[in-house]
This record gives sequence, structure tokens and C-alpha cells, in this order.
Amino acid sequence: MVDFRKYTDENTFAKIVDYKSVGEMWKNSVASYPDDVAIVDGEALTYKQLDEQVCKMRAALQEKGIVAGDNVGILMPNSTAFAKAFLAITTLGAVAVLLPAHLDAMTVFGCSMKFGLKALIYAPALQEKTAFAAEKNPRLILLDETISSDKPSEIADVDGSAPCCVLFTGGTTGRSKGVLLSHSATMRGVKNGCYGYQHVFGQRYFLVLPLTHVFGLVRNLLTNFYTGSAIYICRNTKDMFKEIAVFKPTIMVLVPALAEMALNLSKQFGRNMLGADLKTIICGAAAVAPYLVREYDKFGVALLPGYGLTESANLVSGNPEALRKADSVGYIYEGMEYKIVDGELWLKGVNMMDGYVGEPEENAIAYEDGWFKTGDLVRMDEEGFLYITGRKKEIIVLSNGENVSPAELETKFGMIDTVQDCLVYETDGVLAVEILPRMAVVKALAIEDVEGHFKAKVNEINETLPAFMRVNKVIIRTTDFVRSPSMKIVRNQNANDKK
Amino acid sequence: MQMTRNEIAEKLKDVFKMAVGSAYDEEKCTEDANLVTDLGLSSVGILYIVIAVEEFFGIQFDDVGFGDFRLVGDVLDYIEKKLAQ
Repeated sequence: MVDFRKYTDENTFAKIVDYKSVGEMWKNSVASYPDDVAIVDGEALTYKQLDEQVCKMRAALQEKGIVAGDNVGILMPNSTAFAKAFLAITTLGAVAVLLPAHLDAMTVFGCSMKFGLKALIYAPALQEKTAFAAEKNPRLILLDETISSDKPSEIADVDGSAPCCVLFTGGTTGRSKGVLLSHSATMRGVKNGCYGYQHVFGQRYFLVLPLTHVFGLVRNLLTNFYTGSAIYICRNTKDMFKEIAVFKPTIMVLVPALAEMALNLSKQFGRNMLGADLKTIICGAAAVAPYLVREYDKFGVALLPGYGLTESANLVSGNPEALRKADSVGYIYEGMEYKIVDGELWLKGVNMMDGYVGEPEENAIAYEDGWFKTGDLVRMDEEGFLYITGRKKEIIVLSNGENVSPAELETKFGMIDTVQDCLVYETDGVLAVEILPRMAVVKALAIEDVEGHFKAKVNEINETLPAFMRVNKVIIRTTDFVRSPSMKIVRNQNANDKK
Repeated sequence: MQMTRNEIAEKLKDVFKMAVGSAYDEEKCTEDANLVTDLGLSSVGILYIVIAVEEFFGIQFDDVGFGDFRLVGDVLDYIEKKLAQ
């Protein structure tokens, strides 16, 4: 195992310590950095001021009958209120279930049932999504994000093995599932975010990733609090560069697509759009193109590619700033057990999840002898640098870090009456759907422009989807797909044919 | 002086070129081209366009969802409307 000690100065490294729970970390940060800015979301709050508000929200939750072990949902866009809700829930010993803000009303209701939510804290702007859940699930306690009480409330002493939060992921099979992270897993994920670079504590973070994503929550928000840094909440990504020019972040955590976009904008407008104070970009959640590392070097910014999963509570490997290999995802962090089985990376460690919630079949597929099978194919060079060489799993990870389930999209496109079968895959960084037309229906409807017909149909469905799930390419097949003996489409073979 | 629609379209082509990347095909960049399925723009590509258009044309997008723009012509309409304000 590589010792990361040598990549950070001694005094800084000594501060990278273990905490058993979010509450223990938070208590330490409030005591250590009371008057430093913790979060900026319109208004700037110091650690002490934020703690006072967290304390009031925690007291209000207790008044509503929330106790340790209860599952409490959060349905909010990125905001200080989100951070407060997360801290209030977890420092009470309850479990924060992070519902992505783009979920529809039916799914919010479904999640309230599936995860046995006792309460749901929501942003007023998303009220119409919670109304349906409240009507169908009368036991669900709906709480506005402004709830507050002046009664005293202490941070609970929570064991490291206690559940901390549930995050959503497509996992290995693509169907959306809840990943359960314990307090010690979450805190170990935070600690992993501190390895390999010099400027760790007292930084200025700039948040553009959703807080419901492991990279937004653990690598941005919680690592920010752990390191006594200030995090700026960017409410609308389109305004990020104007806000960066004012806030002047020193560290950013970006998915490759955003790092590339910032680089292209910098080239188009002839100035560094990420600001002169930026020293470090942590880049992960999708494959990082090596040229990004080299191009950012020219701006004096260290872009450090890393590799991680929701299931591992953040990065499990990262490139030390001092010796980056642009095409590698770096060294595996200490405390992480790994083995490579038939090319696939298997993991064990404190930071690993406690399984997918209520998914015995998914868990049976995901684990073997206590090892989590990542589904990622890797190799390691003689110096211990890890390289991702391919994927065994069905899920598509786009360069913007979003996970897309091809099966979910295929079901939608399969409902078009002129589609006999279809296959969704990624090609050149975008999503493509390959369609085998149901020719009898195409002829019966006297459709002449077959390609135009399918493009229009795909566009109709695209418009019902979140932007990241929209399919860019429509390919019409004239011959059948390659199929298994059971007539199932052989996904890799067909998709690879087109790559 | 007010820009003509053609002048806006010309300027917009530079933005689309950077947003789409190597797969950009100028011939496909017509007013009725669909941003997603004809030009191949990802959600980040559309974000690029919004940011670059604000910078290039000195306008502020209202709080529009990226799904509000379907065709190249929709983006042109929007810029024209904003420039006229």
C-alpha cells in the first residue's frame, strides 16, 4: 500500500484523522473554526452560526418525534438548508435519505414507502412533488426546510457502525437503488478526499455537483466541513463562472465534462474562467481524458484524476499531485483492501457501503465472499498506479458523471408501436439508440420517411426525460441484433460493433 | 445597431462548434435542426451554449430550463427577443 504521507506536508497530514461519526467531526470543526466561513449560499454563515441553525433544526426534528435510527428524507436542491438538514438528521443519529430533486411525485411517494421514511424535509419549491406522497402515505411527516425550535438539543453519540445516509445509484445492474453508508464509511470517504495534495485545510470549495451525489455530498460538502473550508453553493450552473470570478475558489471537484467545458470556454474567451486562485481540481465520477490534465497544467492548476463509487462513499484511489499519471486513476488509498479477479476490481474496507437497502437479490449479485465486485475492469502498473480498462456492468457513466440505465431507456423507446426492439449505448461520449423497426406496422401506417419518423418519436420521449438522459443519435437497423440462444440482445457485442 | 437574424446565426455557429466538439457538422446546423438528435448536444453541451451566448451577446438568460430549447431556431428566437428588449 502506498503511503500518502509524503505527498502532503507533515503538519497538514497530522490533521487528517479519523472520526467515528459525522457528529464527532462536526463538533470538532465548530470548536476549531468557529468564526471561519463554512458555507455561502446568498448569505455567508460561519461554523458557529451554521451550528446554531443546525441545532435548532435538530431540536425541531426531535419535537416531531424523530429519534435515532429513523429514516428521514431530504428533497431539496443544493442549498444551505440541505446542508443543515443533513447535519441535523445525522447528528441526531437518524438516517438521511437523499432524494434527487428531479424525481417525479410518484417516485417520491415510492421512495417514502420503500425506505420507510418517517419524515421528509422538503424545499417549498418542490412542494407539489411531496403533496402526492403526503396524500397516499398519511403516516409520512412532511417538514418544511425552515423548521426550527429553540429547545436545547445535543449532538448524539453515534457509533461508527450506525447507518448515516442513503444515496441513490444505478449500481451494477442499472436499476436505481439506495446505497446505505454507515457513519464510519462516510467519514472514511471524507478522509480519503484529503490525501495526495498540499492545500487541504482552510480552502474555498465551489459546489456545482448535486448534494444527492456522493461526489457532491462527501467529496464537496463534508470534506469542506472536515477541513474547515468555506463552500460556495452555486444555485444555477449557468452562472457558475460569474460566481467563480467573485468567490475565487481554491479547489473544485468536477466531473470531466464540466472540467472540459471550463477549458473550452477559457479557450473561446481567452481567459482562465476558473479564476487565478484555483490550485486543485479533483476529477472523477467518469473517465478523465488525459489531455485535461496536461491542459490544466498550463494554467497552473493540478487536475487530479481519481476513481470512486457511491458504494465506496467517495474516491478509493487518486493521483498524488506530485506525480500524476494522466491516464491513471492513481494509487489506491490506505485502508482499502482490494483484489483483481479476472480483471475486475473487488473492494473491501471501512468506507464500503452496508449494501443496497431492501435489495437482497441485488446484494447477492454485488458481493462475493464479503468482497464488493465493482464491475470495473482494471489493471495496475508496477508502481501501483491503477488504470480503468473497461466495464463489466450494464450501467452507462457519462462524462458528466450521470449514471444512465440503458434498460430504463430501452423500455421507454420499446413502447413506440413501430419499434420491435432497441438498444441504448454510449458512443463518442453521447447516448445512441439503435432501433429495429416493426416493419409490418411501419408499412401499415404507410410511413415513408422511416428515419424521420423514429427521430420524431425519440425526440418526443427525449422531451419527457431529464436533460442528461436524452438520446443524441438514432440509428435504424435493417438486420436483427446479435442475440443469445434465449433471443436476448447480446448487449456488449451489439454496442461494441458500433463503437 | 440591431443584429440581423443572419448575423446572430453566424456568431452562434462558433459557439455550437465549441459546444459540439469534433463531431460538429456545419451543414447540419440549420434552424430546424434538433439540438439533441441532429447536433448531438449533451446536457453539458447545451449548458455551454447558454454560458457562451450570455458572454458573446451580452444578454442574461431568464431562468429557463435547458429543455425549453428544442431547435437551433428556438435559440435564435430567444436571442433575438432578448436583444430587442
